[in-house]
Amino acid sequence: MVIRIKRFNLEGIFPALVTPFKNEGEIDEEALRYLVNFMIEWEVNGVVPVGTTGEFVYMSKEERKRALETVIDEVNGRVPVIAGTGASSTIETIELCRHAKDVGADATLVVTPYYLRPADKGAYQHFYEVTKAADIPIVLYNIPQCTGGFLSREVVEDLARIDNITGLKDSSGHLPYMLELLSFVGDKITIVCGHDEVVLPALAAGAKGAILASANVIPDIWVKLYKAVQKGDVDSARKIQMSAQKLARIFCRHGGAVAVKAALKMMSVNVGKVRRPLVSGGVLAWEVKEEIRMELEKLGKITAKQIKVKTELPKRLEDRFQDLGITAKDIEQSKLLVSEASVGEGREKLHVFLLAGPKQSAVGYVWARALANPEPGHEALTAILEPNLSAKPITLIVPAIKIESLRQASIVYGPVQSAVGKAVSDTVEENVISKEVLENYAIIVKVVVNPEALNRQILFTNTYDAVKFALSNAFRVWRG
Amino acid sequence: MEKKFWLKGVIPALVTPFERNFEVDEESLRRLVDFVIEKGVTGVVPCGTTGEFVNMTVEERMKVIEVTIDEVNGRVPVIAGTGDARTTNAIEFTKHAEDAGATAALVVSPFYFKPTDKEIYEHYDKIAEAADLPIILYNIPQVTGVEIPWWVVEGLSEIDNIVGIKDSSGNMPYMMALFEKVYGKISIICGHDEIAVAALAAGADGLILASANLIPDLWLRLYDLVEKHDLEEARSLQRKVQTLARIITRHGGGLAVKAGLRMMELDVGTARKPLMTGGVFRYEDEELLRLSLEWLGKLSSKTLQLEIKPNLVTKSMFAGATPQTPMKIRDFSLKVGEAFASPSTAEVAHVDLLIGLRNGPVGRTFRETLANPRTGHDPQLVRLGSKTVKPDTLLVPTVTIRTERQAEFVYVHAMSGVAKAVVDSVEDGLLPKDALEELVMIANVFVHPTASNPKRVMINNFKAMVWAIRRALEARPTSEELMERKESARHPFRYEP
Repeated sequence: MVIRIKRFNLEGIFPALVTPFKNEGEIDEEALRYLVNFMIEWEVNGVVPVGTTGEFVYMSKEERKRALETVIDEVNGRVPVIAGTGASSTIETIELCRHAKDVGADATLVVTPYYLRPADKGAYQHFYEVTKAADIPIVLYNIPQCTGGFLSREVVEDLARIDNITGLKDSSGHLPYMLELLSFVGDKITIVCGHDEVVLPALAAGAKGAILASANVIPDIWVKLYKAVQKGDVDSARKIQMSAQKLARIFCRHGGAVAVKAALKMMSVNVGKVRRPLVSGGVLAWEVKEEIRMELEKLGKITAKQIKVKTELPKRLEDRFQDLGITAKDIEQSKLLVSEASVGEGREKLHVFLLAGPKQSAVGYVWARALANPEPGHEALTAILEPNLSAKPITLIVPAIKIESLRQASIVYGPVQSAVGKAVSDTVEENVISKEVLENYAIIVKVVVNPEALNRQILFTNTYDAVKFALSNAFRVWRG
Repeated sequence: MEKKFWLKGVIPALVTPFERNFEVDEESLRRLVDFVIEKGVTGVVPCGTTGEFVNMTVEERMKVIEVTIDEVNGRVPVIAGTGDARTTNAIEFTKHAEDAGATAALVVSPFYFKPTDKEIYEHYDKIAEAADLPIILYNIPQVTGVEIPWWVVEGLSEIDNIVGIKDSSGNMPYMMALFEKVYGKISIICGHDEIAVAALAAGADGLILASANLIPDLWLRLYDLVEKHDLEEARSLQRKVQTLARIITRHGGGLAVKAGLRMMELDVGTARKPLMTGGVFRYEDEELLRLSLEWLGKLSSKTLQLEIKPNLVTKSMFAGATPQTPMKIRDFSLKVGEAFASPSTAEVAHVDLLIGLRNGPVGRTFRETLANPRTGHDPQLVRLGSKTVKPDTLLVPTVTIRTERQAEFVYVHAMSGVAKAVVDSVEDGLLPKDALEELVMIANVFVHPTASNPKRVMINNFKAMVWAIRRALEARPTSEELMERKESARHPFRYEP
């Protein structure tokens, strides 16, 4: 058989466009047009409307057609449009592919049938009949995370012999599969990567481009990476991939369209909400959503909110527990233990000041009171190493800097909380805290955590070191 | 063709007791064997999956089988676990079991390298050829990674000394295929605690279960009920043991069984590393296992002495006592308990609890907090229906309340779980009835703002509150537990997304 040159060239970076919805739920045509232009300005090589990221599975046939028509109209020939036309049934897929051809799409992206999953024979026949019925280039689409199974390499081998089948998008992220395809059909169809976390290795291995959810948000970064690989500059490409890795991971694993829409909103590109059952706070937990903002700031996509960290602490350590109700006089009269420590620098710098005393002393009372009267933004919680493993002597953590977001909360009540718990436990093990003190004392640790703190491992270490230092100072002095 | 041995009834997959230094504890093994035989089991299985055979040396496995056979002394059949990844080794173990006087061998399908059906067939064929001992095939794909195909079982059932199959997959369609192909030819045994009643009703000949170490009597009753065709009662009994069965099958197997036996004062040590409490068998599973055993009446009641104040010492029968429960509880100035219960990220419950005297620091806080409620963290007296619970308990939300929906989840759904926990803890006897007026409690309760499932929020808060009360009064985690558990601690939010 003569291998003919395929008609359509799928190379470069293509955003898998989200579908903007209005509050009432219908497609927001204006926002879609805006998004298209926003993408083209970043020099993407084409756009892919109504794909997985475009929530095609929640859209009626009419909506899908209309979204496609809008995109083609707005693109107006500037870049290729690859229309997402996949559906579970062959009949519907054919209808959508024919429509795509009629309205002038350059190619179609056709997902493997899902839900009622065909075996190899049915998968082959599905694509075969689509190519017979619609005269438009077809890009096969493997995304087992959603469809429940891989499009087998053997089927792809057979499909690659069909004229109209010009490419395959592999979103599995499974590199052995992609390399298998490259070795069997790499010379017949164009393989592109659909998994944001492995763009560089895929391109390096021979994929010709990438269709990505995150390319809605950081198209420029992916275009830069693509060009670097083309020039053979792997060092730069690695750096670029790493700079986007966390964002890529969040998009791939924490909610696709939900996360992309949240990110676009942060960048003032309003594309509305996802359709139910997807909601914000589901697969994209609120704690994680805030991480997107931090990443966008790092990548210069949005300007960082200037958060003023108020650290107007009283000069004397003994005066720093007044808000909890313990004065310097109390400390002196009841011989309470106080100490402080500061470890690290920059965002992850950590400052603690510590108060300890018998449960029967004022410390016990303010300990109970702080836990019973959470101050919004400064909610006190017990020191635990992990849930269901609390430290001893009983230790309360009081955030000195106001907590404004769930992400910030998850940092204080995550690495900081567990580091305090671990530091207390290790200090006990080293016999700095005597066994008698273990059940009879209460400790309060005020922590000054920068709201911009990012690196949780460094933060954990700094907190651990600071608390350990403060504890050994407090208890050694007392014992001496 | 008549098989020379037909396995049936209820058979515990014995744990292997270890000393504190992780040597095999022969004495405890003998005690365990006697314990289950006295309950009426129809056989025992040493060195199975629950017995941690894979983490034992050749000599240890052989010794455990010998000790078990010696202690059983003919009272019931001994089915020795003799499986191995390698065929030659499995033959050696099986021959040893035969020489030692075992009744039969339970041979797990080869693992680690995943063999094809041909290799599985020949593995068993060679073993059956080399030994005279009746052999029971053992399908447990959760750990072997491979299911023994039914057509392999069908073929192997033709071999004289292959007399049964234990299916632990829990895959009912698979088991139905076994019934279709080999029913009446070889004995078909269910090895999955969660589906025992279904398997027996469908025709299984018996049960080899991990949880039969803990509740052999209940499984025997269930077995008899099905024998008598009293399915209604059998189902009801299965439902009663279901939580326990689920913990054992999904959260820790032998390790969980050992934790349970320790709670029941039959100390068999713990599992060998890398298995550890806090891992697959999560800390919350340990607490839930304790509650399940208590609800099944398997924990002993203990008289606790609670020194509420120097001049007020009460005695209380505590139905949920374990060997860890201190007999004497003192100093009620400020007791703290922390507990977390899941599942579902959005519906988790996390309780920080204070218990103390009305005229101590907790009591003072209690009064002041109620008098000066903080906006967004309004304290509310815990009520069950319209009645406030005793001891007086204050519920304080951890997360600032900003919406009505949040308020409903905290003050209605979490509250009802917390209330039920207080009432239950009084009924259990841990909170002393004659000192309820002397004590107050403050529960700082975390409900995630994205919670959607009211029932789960209620249940999780019930569990977390029961556990927090226990931890506060039993002073848990103890410092020994902390030292043992601190290095492997993994806080879920410690890592970047």
